[in-house]
Amino acid sequence: MGLVLWIAPLIAVALSQFAKKARTLHAISIGVSLVMLVLAGYCTHAVMVAGELTYTIFNGLFLIDSLSIIILDIVTVIYFLTSIYAIGYLQEEVRHGKISSEKLRLYYMLMYVFLFAMVVALTVSNIGIIWVAIEATTLASAFLVGFQNDHNSLEAAWKYIIICSVGIAITLVGIIFLHLSSVDVIQSGDALKWNVLLSEAKHLDEPVLRFAFIFILIGFGTKAGLAPMHTWLPDAHSQAPSPISALLSGVLLNSAMYAIIRCLTIVNKNSGDSQFAGRLMIGFGLLSVLTAAIFILSQKDYKRLLAYSSIEHMGIIALAMGLFTPLSIFAGLLHMMNHSLTKSMLFLASGNILQKYNAREISKIQGLLKTLPITGTVFLLGLLAISGTPPFSIFGSEVNVFISVFNADQAGLGIVLILLLAIIFAGIAATLFRVFFGSADAGQVQPGETNLPGALAICVLLIAIVVTGLYLPDGLKDLFIAARQIVLGG
Amino acid sequence: MEHYLDLLSVLMLLSAIMLVSHKRIRSYIRTFRLQAILIAVIAGFMGFESLMTEGSIDILVICVIIIALKVVIIPMLLHKTFANVEDVVEKDFYLNIPILILMSCVLVVFSYFTLSGISGLASGHVNLQVVNAFSVILIGFFFMISRKKAIGQIIGYLVMENGIFVTAIFSTHGMPFIVDIGIFIDMITAVLIMGVMVVQINEKFDSININNLRNLRG
Repeated sequence: MGLVLWIAPLIAVALSQFAKKARTLHAISIGVSLVMLVLAGYCTHAVMVAGELTYTIFNGLFLIDSLSIIILDIVTVIYFLTSIYAIGYLQEEVRHGKISSEKLRLYYMLMYVFLFAMVVALTVSNIGIIWVAIEATTLASAFLVGFQNDHNSLEAAWKYIIICSVGIAITLVGIIFLHLSSVDVIQSGDALKWNVLLSEAKHLDEPVLRFAFIFILIGFGTKAGLAPMHTWLPDAHSQAPSPISALLSGVLLNSAMYAIIRCLTIVNKNSGDSQFAGRLMIGFGLLSVLTAAIFILSQKDYKRLLAYSSIEHMGIIALAMGLFTPLSIFAGLLHMMNHSLTKSMLFLASGNILQKYNAREISKIQGLLKTLPITGTVFLLGLLAISGTPPFSIFGSEVNVFISVFNADQAGLGIVLILLLAIIFAGIAATLFRVFFGSADAGQVQPGETNLPGALAICVLLIAIVVTGLYLPDGLKDLFIAARQIVLGG
Repeated sequence: MEHYLDLLSVLMLLSAIMLVSHKRIRSYIRTFRLQAILIAVIAGFMGFESLMTEGSIDILVICVIIIALKVVIIPMLLHKTFANVEDVVEKDFYLNIPILILMSCVLVVFSYFTLSGISGLASGHVNLQVVNAFSVILIGFFFMISRKKAIGQIIGYLVMENGIFVTAIFSTHGMPFIVDIGIFIDMITAVLIMGVMVVQINEKFDSININNLRNLRG
């Protein structure tokens, strides 16, 4: 049953080959995302009952546990809402003649391949295959980033594919050394499986493993958008079509972070504490927050601003994981979910704004609340949420990260972190809040929502972040606690 | 046997340094093919050995794939891409060639000292070969950042990939078979996509000089 997760996107690729009308293409997309959602629900149930879900086929290659199911659920939920949004978005683009119906097919096919690669990365037990899948996500999304095929998007796509491919190649070096550290301990049939590596972690060759982790962190960190390897991220996220930006930011960054967490767990269990790996993670995390703070303050393009904010939040997650206390891991995992939901909501809303105003510069947007009442409201609340204001969910996980930092006797780190987040809040408020005021040029923009399914999708996301900000359901909490236990070493 | 492998790994390193010294894109592709042949020979040796001792043909299969992919298909694709873009002979590098070669040598020394600092690696008998292979990765990376043209970056990426493959085969007798296959699929796709993009860049920017790609900043 779980294996259908792999097959469904591939069937969708085949089906869209034969679809003649745009309507059919949209229907296939909704169908697939619904199927994925149901399957993820089934897998979640199985994992909650049994702890993990695996099949004997392919020598146990398919394996999900509480950690992977959390990320997988985020992927499927956001993918579902994005595909609802994409219908309205793409129809609008076709109406304005920005994309032809043939490119519509290409868009959907690449998106399915992208989804397939991401799901594979989250459901396989072999770290080598995780690598292959994450590289495949780069390749599938490269054309999506350059979809508009103008100067800027082509530049973004080229930077994206080159920087991420090189980063991922560096990871491969790390994986080779990971393999080397385990080659005397683990039989070749089980080589590179994270569950086996984790259970044998104490016997791995420590110096080689540490060497491997540096490469893995730098490589997957490139893909996860950690500074100073983040340079592709603002370009790619701002130039891609908005549904793709939402997927890149809300889903892809998490998949790369997931791979880092898997390796972090192994390294920390091997050395017994988080001195070595934790310091690296905290360093990269803090640097990411700092970089984001600097660039947000002087940002002129709202999609780029959101992209820098993704770097900031990935930095917070890396920092929380690096601290490696039970509370910080819980908060970090929660933050992954909260950030994904909030950030994809913001990117989807920014897509509506971009289509309405046809401008990327903050200075050209005025009177947003009047021209786009629903999107504008969601965007305003989303900006408050992403900068960590209660009652939204990001506030909860950020506060937990702060508490865990201070509990770990890292007061200096905590103070710096809070200061940087305050700067980011001020930066967002100073640069972006002006879009809500003023009145729109009557001749330029017609008031009114153009993308009604999209407005629905972002409202659902808004409700989700408000609800999880106030109250975390017990089932979800148990899942996060189980995942925390896995990260702590089982 | 060991001597042959030592020799081959040194030859591979030399081919990487040779690449750095080239000025024209055609010679990049030629040297890349030469390096691919060396890798195929290395894989052939190792594969033959593992067939004799363990009876597994995995590495030999990989060797055949390398010959098909890296010696034949990828150079062909690169030639095709190159034929599609306009050929202006201009200075393609930031520093002059003697300095580039000197820096490549520094990279070899650097990787020697890095790897011998790690206790688990220095004990193995494959130490020298791993050092050479690891240097090829670094030189490939260095090649990427020292060239201005997009095709140079693709070649640099492929040389890195070559170095990684040889590191894997020297240090652990190759990755698990399925992973190797996945890596090859990814690599050929990456080259195809990058090739298409180079042609698009050439159309939009009238050149494949990546210095023109600097609109997105801050």
